[in-house]
Order: sequence, then C-alpha cells, then structure tokens
Amino acid sequence: MNRLTLILGNSWRDLRGRDGRISMATQTALLFFLLTLTLTSASIQSYLADNLDQMLGSDLVVESHSPLTEDDEAAFRAMAGGLSVTQLADITLTHKDEWARVQLKLVDDAYPLQGNLQIGDTPVATQRAVSRGPNVGEIWIDSRLAVKLGTQVGDILTIGDVDLTLSAVLFHEPDRIMEGHSVAMRAMAHAKSLNGASIESSKGRTRYLVTADEKQQQAIEKWSRQTLPGASVTKKFGGQHPLASFWQRTENFLGLASVILFFMGAVALDMTNRRWLAKMRYRLAIYASFGTRTCTAMLMALGEWLAGFLLSITLASALAIWAYAWIIAELQGYFPGIHAAWHVAPALKTIGLFFLLLLALQAPSFIQLSRASLLSLIRNPTENSNVWQRLFWSIASVTLLAAAYSDNKLLTGMTLTAIAAALALMVVLTWTVIRLGDAWGHRRAGLLPFAFFMMRQRLFAKSAQVMGLGLCGLLLLFSLMLMRDLGTTMEGYGRNHDGNLMIAEAQSDQIGAIHTWAQETGSIVRTLRPFVSAQLVSVNGQALADMQKPSDTLATLKDPIRLSWTDAMPQNNRLVGGKWWRQGTANWQQISAEPEVMTDMGFNYGDTLTYQIGGGSYDFTLVASHAYQPGAGSITFWFQVPLSAKTQIDAPTRYMGSMELPEPAWDALAGLWQQYPTLSLVPLQELTERFDQTLGIVTKVTSGYAAMVLLLALFVLAASVSGFSADDRQKNGLLMSMGLRETDCLRLNFYDWGVTALIAAAGAIAGTWSAGVLIYQAQFNLTYRPDGLWVTAMVLAMGATVCLVGYVACRQSLKVSARDLMAT
Amino acid sequence: MPDTIELNGISHHFDTAHERIELFRDLSYTIRADETLAIVGASGAGKSSLLAIAAGLDTPAGGDVRFNIDGGQVNALTMRASSGFIFQQFHLMPELDAIGNLALPLRLKGKRNAFDIAALWLEKVGLKDRARHRPHQLSGGEQQRIAVARAFVTAPRFIFADEPTGNLDRRTSESVAGLMFDCARETGCGLVIVTHSRQLAMRADASVLLDAGQLKAAA
Repeated sequence: MNRLTLILGNSWRDLRGRDGRISMATQTALLFFLLTLTLTSASIQSYLADNLDQMLGSDLVVESHSPLTEDDEAAFRAMAGGLSVTQLADITLTHKDEWARVQLKLVDDAYPLQGNLQIGDTPVATQRAVSRGPNVGEIWIDSRLAVKLGTQVGDILTIGDVDLTLSAVLFHEPDRIMEGHSVAMRAMAHAKSLNGASIESSKGRTRYLVTADEKQQQAIEKWSRQTLPGASVTKKFGGQHPLASFWQRTENFLGLASVILFFMGAVALDMTNRRWLAKMRYRLAIYASFGTRTCTAMLMALGEWLAGFLLSITLASALAIWAYAWIIAELQGYFPGIHAAWHVAPALKTIGLFFLLLLALQAPSFIQLSRASLLSLIRNPTENSNVWQRLFWSIASVTLLAAAYSDNKLLTGMTLTAIAAALALMVVLTWTVIRLGDAWGHRRAGLLPFAFFMMRQRLFAKSAQVMGLGLCGLLLLFSLMLMRDLGTTMEGYGRNHDGNLMIAEAQSDQIGAIHTWAQETGSIVRTLRPFVSAQLVSVNGQALADMQKPSDTLATLKDPIRLSWTDAMPQNNRLVGGKWWRQGTANWQQISAEPEVMTDMGFNYGDTLTYQIGGGSYDFTLVASHAYQPGAGSITFWFQVPLSAKTQIDAPTRYMGSMELPEPAWDALAGLWQQYPTLSLVPLQELTERFDQTLGIVTKVTSGYAAMVLLLALFVLAASVSGFSADDRQKNGLLMSMGLRETDCLRLNFYDWGVTALIAAAGAIAGTWSAGVLIYQAQFNLTYRPDGLWVTAMVLAMGATVCLVGYVACRQSLKVSARDLMAT
Repeated sequence: MPDTIELNGISHHFDTAHERIELFRDLSYTIRADETLAIVGASGAGKSSLLAIAAGLDTPAGGDVRFNIDGGQVNALTMRASSGFIFQQFHLMPELDAIGNLALPLRLKGKRNAFDIAALWLEKVGLKDRARHRPHQLSGGEQQRIAVARAFVTAPRFIFADEPTGNLDRRTSESVAGLMFDCARETGCGLVIVTHSRQLAMRADASVLLDAGQLKAAA
C-alpha cells in the first residue's frame, strides 16, 4: 500500500512539473484525437450495418453492369424465391428550360420485394407508404429534383420521345442503401414506360432483388460468380456492406493523418523524455542506496508512468465524448438517424494500440533506466544521450503504425521518404553549420563565435532539438500548403480546364447531333476521345472479386472503367516505364496503365489483365505505363490499348471530350438533352459547384486537422524550450558569474535559437519541397509550384516564433539570481 | 559472530585510451559490523572504488569478496538490501520535503508506519520543526543530517559513507560526524567512511590508509 501511494505521489509530483504537463498534454491531445475518430467511425459503421439489415429491400441483391440473357434470367428465377429486376441509368431530365442530371431507376411490377416506398404529393407533404412502384406512364422524382426542375404532381416530363406524368414525390426506396454515399438526384419509372426510348450508358446497371433462404442464397452466389464475373452480391445478413469499403478507405486516410500527428507527438514526448530519464535515473539510484532491487524500482517507474497514462485516458475520454457528441450532431445532415452510443470495444482497442505505441517510444528510456546505478551517485559517470537509439525506436514504431493503418502504400511511402530525407538533411546541416561556425570562430572574439563553440559542445542535443523543430515545421507547412493549394486548384479549375462544358459520355449516334448542335449555336468541340466500357475481372487468372484489400483503385476497378485506344502516345501523356507499341502494330493484345494504378494494384509488366467488354472476355498483356502531362487537354485514361484492338472488340464505342459554349448556347442545351437524355454533359459551373461542396467538407476536416497539427507544434516548441531550460540556466548563470551582462546572455541566446530555427526551417522547407514533388502529382494530380514569397514568409514566421519563445524562456531564466542559477 | 565483509586478495584497475591505471593489487581486509572504519588516502588513490567493491556495487578485477550476514554467506544483492549510503552531495529527493525524504526508504520497504518512524528520527537529528521544508530550503548541514538519518532509518547492517563531510564547514562537519558515529554505535551497525578529514578518521574504531594500492594502518 505504501509503495502504491508512493508511486501515485511521485507520478502526481512529476505531472505538476513543466515537462510532466507537456507530456500529459501531448498524450491527452493524441488520445483525444484517436478516440474521437474511433467513436465517430464506430457510430457510422453501426449506422450502416443497421441500415443494411433493415433497408435492403430483399434478402439478397445482385448488381451487374451487363444484364443477364433471357435464358440466364430464367435460370436465376428458378433458383430464387422471388425476383425483381430494376435498371439504373444516369440521364438528364428536363422541364421547360430547367435540367438536371438524374439517376433513373426503372422498376418492374414485383418491386420492392420487401419493405415500403415512401411518397408524397409535394416536397414538403406528409409521407405515405406504398408497397409498389409507379405505374406504366408515370414517373416519381425526389423532392430536391422537384424543386430544381420547378415541377409539381400532374406535370408531364419527357424522356426521349416518351411523355411521363409526374404522379408522386419520392422520399425513400428500401434499396436506397445500395447507392452508398451517392447524393445524386433520383427518379423512378416503370420499366415498360420506356420501351421505346434508349437509356443505355456505360454506367448503366441492372439490379436483381431476390428473396431466398440461406441455401438458395448460397446457390445464387455461386452461380452469379460463374455467370456474371463482374457482378456484386450483397446479402442482408453477413454480407459485405456497399459502403463499408468506402468508409474503410476514408478511415485509412484518416489513419495516415493520425500517423503524422503521432509522429509530432512522438517528437514532443521524446524531448520531455530526456529530462524525465535524467530524473528517473537519479531517483532509481537513490532507491538503490536504500537497498531497493532494480526490478522493484523499475516496476515502480513503470507504475508511475502508467499512472500518468491512466490520467491522460480519463481526460482524453471526457474530451472525446464531448467532441463525439458534437460531431454526431453535425453528421446527422449526412446520415439521417445516426446517433451517439457507447462503443466500448473499439475505444479500448484504440487505447490499447496507443498504449503499445507509447510503450515502444518509452522503451529506450526504460532500457537505459535498467542500467541506472548507485555508482552514478558516487562517480558521476558520463551518460550517453542515445540519440540514435531513440530515433530508431521512434521511426520504427511510427513506420509500423503507418504500415498497419494505411492502405495507400505509395502515399505512405512518399510521406515517410520525405520525412526521412528532411531528417537526414537536418542532421547534415546541423553538423556542418555548427562545425564550420566553430572553426570560423576558433580565433575570433565575440558572442557569436562563443555561441558556435557552445553549440558544438552540445552537438547531439542540438541535433535532436533541430530535428524535432524541423520535423514539426515540415508537417505543419505541408498540411497548410496542401490545404491552400487544394483550395486554389478547385477555385481555379475553370481557368485551367479546356472548354466550359465537359462531355462526360456520348454514344456514337449522338456525335453527329453534337456537331450539328455546336454549329447551330456557335459552340466549339475541343476534344473527343473514344472509349469502350470495360470491366477488369481478373489479373493473371486471379479474380478481382477475390482481392480483399481496402484500396480506392481496387474499388474503382470493381466497376467498369473507360478503355481507350490510340496508335501513338497522346500529346497529354508521357511514357513512364515499359515499352510503347509500334504505330500500326497488329499485336492488339497490349495495354498501358497509369503508374499509380500499377503501384496500388501491384501490377508488373508482363501481367495478363482480363476485361469483360460487351459480354466478351479479352486478355491484354501489360507492356507500358503512361502518365498525364499538362498542355494538351485534360482528358486522359487509366488504361490504353493499341488502335488495332478496336476492330477486335465487339462493344459500342462511346466518347468523352470537351466543348466551349458561348453564353447564348446554354439555353439551347435543354433541347439537346430532351432529344438525347443519356447524353452526359457536365457544365463547368456544375462541376465547380460539386467541387465547392467537396471543398466545404474538405476544408472542415482539414481545418480541424490543421488545428491539431498546430496544437502539437506548440507542444513540441514548449518541450524543446523546457527540455533544455536547465542547461540554458546553468550556462547563463556561469556567464553572468564571469561578468557578462543580461543583454549579452540574451544575445547569446538569440544566436543559439536563431541558428536552430534557421536550420530547422531549411530542413522543413526542403522536406516540404520533396513531399510536394513526390506527392502532389501522384496523389492529387496537382503540379507542385512553390511560391517563393509564401515560403520565405513561412521561414521568417517560424524563425521569429522560435526566437521569440527562446527569448521569453531566457528572460525568465535570467530573472533568477546568479546564485540560484549556479545551484541548478 | 558479527556480520563481516571479507576482501580477499582483491585488485582493481581502470583502462583509459592510452594506459591502464592500477588502483590496488592483492588487497585483503575484513570489515566488521561491530566497528567503525575510516579509509583515508590521497585523491585518486581508489578509496571510492574500494568502497563500491566493499558495498557490492562493483566487482573487483581480481580476488574475491565475501559477505557474511547472520552467520551465513550472502550474495551482493542481499548485501545491498542490508546496506545504507551517505554521499558527499547529500542526494536528497528535491521534490520531497524533509519528512518525505526520511520516510522514503521505509515506504519502499512497505512499512505502514513509515511517517511515524521518520518523525521520531527527525526529532532525533534535531530537525523536527523543519519537517515540511524541501531540500533547497535547508542548509548543507541540515540536508546531510537528514541524509544520515535516512541511511540509518531502516536499521541496516552496514553504512557506507563517501566523503560525508566534504561539502561542509568544520563546525557542521563535527556535528554531522558526531551524529553518524552516535547512530552507528547506538544501532550496532558497521560504518565504513571514505574521507580526507583526519579529524573524522580519528573518530573511527579503525582507520586505514590506502596508499600505493595497499591498505596500511593510518597514523
């Protein structure tokens, strides 16, 4: 009992010290961030799972981009208890001069198999439940679409040549969960209503809602994998959630952000650990003088550290619960009905992981503590700073954390490479500048040469200080720079884009009409690139459906992509690796892919990629890799094949491109769409609106993140000043005892911190530059152009902040009398 | 039979980058718990190293050391558990007050009445009214009195003191020395002191001079 109270007493006293407070604040801030993230994430997962259980509209859903043949559909019906076939297509719906891109769902008489539809007569009307979809000749649209088009129940809407009566406003359909996080406006009509109109598009899907018992479900799953290789199967119970992989990818991205924050926290903790270790070594040596065994003393040290950790858990949990409640209230706009709940298991898992990481960071200190000896109280032996050992443990734990958390190996690798390069540069710079400075000042008098001499004596400690501050500066600068550049890019999209209307998708028979319309309205067709809709189904014989890793690329490839053909390398592409095909080659089974796709999917040259195109299967050998280069249009493709492949592939050709419309032509667009509802044209204004929406969310998230980075940067700065304050006090005391004035001490201190800040800033800038060059193009499709003025301002701001904090700390230490200074 | 520490033909040295410094060679001596012993010698003679070896903190390069407690031979770990130390720099815990420092070894040994015993010892060393004072609020002499009391408070078999009065003026030194020897005799604990002070050495039952690697009876 006495030992326990002693442990708690010691721990409490340590926490009241400056280092203890910084250490506690850093731990609490990191844990608060991770716990808030975990609780929010758990709530979203639980919300999605609940929705799946209650809202699939059937027992099982099979969704495919190529519909079943009549024979296959008959076989399917024979296996299922009940079957409803729905088709989905993206079209443009018009009403008078208003238009909107809409996801149209064509349903049959059996829809929905389970659950109800919610409809009303006006967008704000009371909802009523109905058990079947619209009748033939009717259309239902969702409330946002009704407002956008300015329609009301009873109006006639025309799709192609078919007139449909708007008979209800649609509020909810039971298979809504299948749309995932899509916020597209929706419309629903009976399949037989549009028998005459073509609504085919490359993004068209056929969805089969099925009622089936468990045995039937297993049989259908097996059958669909053979008959529909590109189809997705979702089961109400025990199935993979349509949103789960999306959310997991988001979590992984946030995971990488957490890794960066943890890295900063590790720097602050390492700096406070330096003083903690000295204190604990002393304490353990004194304990040893009372006959206390080393293992007992070590256990007590561990207990003291644990007590501090438990306190930080308590504080972080209280803060996280408050933040979690606030975030859930904000999220209710995106996930209606989501609510806060106690997610004890995920929270404990996060605390456990955090504990292990902190323990790994603390390991070098505990190893050194185990060597604490009573002899140190008699002999004053020299103590190693073990900078390299500490650095190794820090980097090892953070790298492991990054590897465990992030699915995007390329991004993680680039981030860690930039950090490692910056650290190496800072070490080299520190050693070079200080050694050269010392050599320069060797035969000179004055405070600056003396400052270099002092820094030379504390070279290891100085390196650690520079690396900590520099790393912190790098992460802060990079976060702020990326936020600023993403915003600028999104805002300036219109200036860089060729044309003000994007042709997202046009069918062959629509090209003539587009040209005619362009001529009539004075518009210019800028670019048009052909493609077919192709779905990658296997790589070297391994089915894509069997690959289970959370990756954006894999998720995209599970849906059809656009496969383009070209004889020569397009002007807006450059060869990155492999060998491009000869012009006019007869060997059509070759393919080139973008490097990011290759890295994320682990493709190698020589791999065989099998695509499902228009009902047929085609093999291509990966021979080259191409990347986008600006200057000749913005349209580029992930995959490209030789021109000769076109004649071998039996599938409808589609086009994407861009147009420049003069102001009066915009009003005439509705006429073109009415004639060709599947023609997908996206005005730049709409595109920028979508960007603005995305930017709004991105800004909210990154602002919160930047606030966390800033907070941790402050902790690093405080730890840096606090960790070295005793040395500075002793140095200042000695100098004053030799007759130097306070102003001299302040100047000396200014030189010391100025050199530290400049080297750290140089390292931070170099690290930011390498991170920018590596990450911008590859991950965000941005060209990295550092703004000289902005960079200079940041360096000055960083230098000024560090010098100011150093000055304040020095003023405080000088307030103490020379006698007290000497006593430290 | 009293507890003893037997140094049998021990030798010790330090290696520097350029040379080997021999401290002592083939040195033998028996330290008894029922007497006080002073080791004197010039700076660098190896007094502190000899003390560390005798206390079981360090192992000699040659020869062997035997620790006998309660009639049986014990290892260095057990020996250390039965020892106390007094240092030249006092080495009190700066964050604890006087009574907290005194109670610390008792609390580490799990004594329930640690603070009561500490209070008795504080009274004994004449610092009852300084119980709540931190080390930096005490004079050097007061700090060393607390350190002496702290070494004796757990009733060890041996106390090792390394230049215990090296940082104190003559009057304070005498007072602290008096306290140390009184406590040792009162508790029957062996006291081994390394010192430069002739006056301090003369208070001990036995006094030896470490010179040229050998122990000789001090004059």
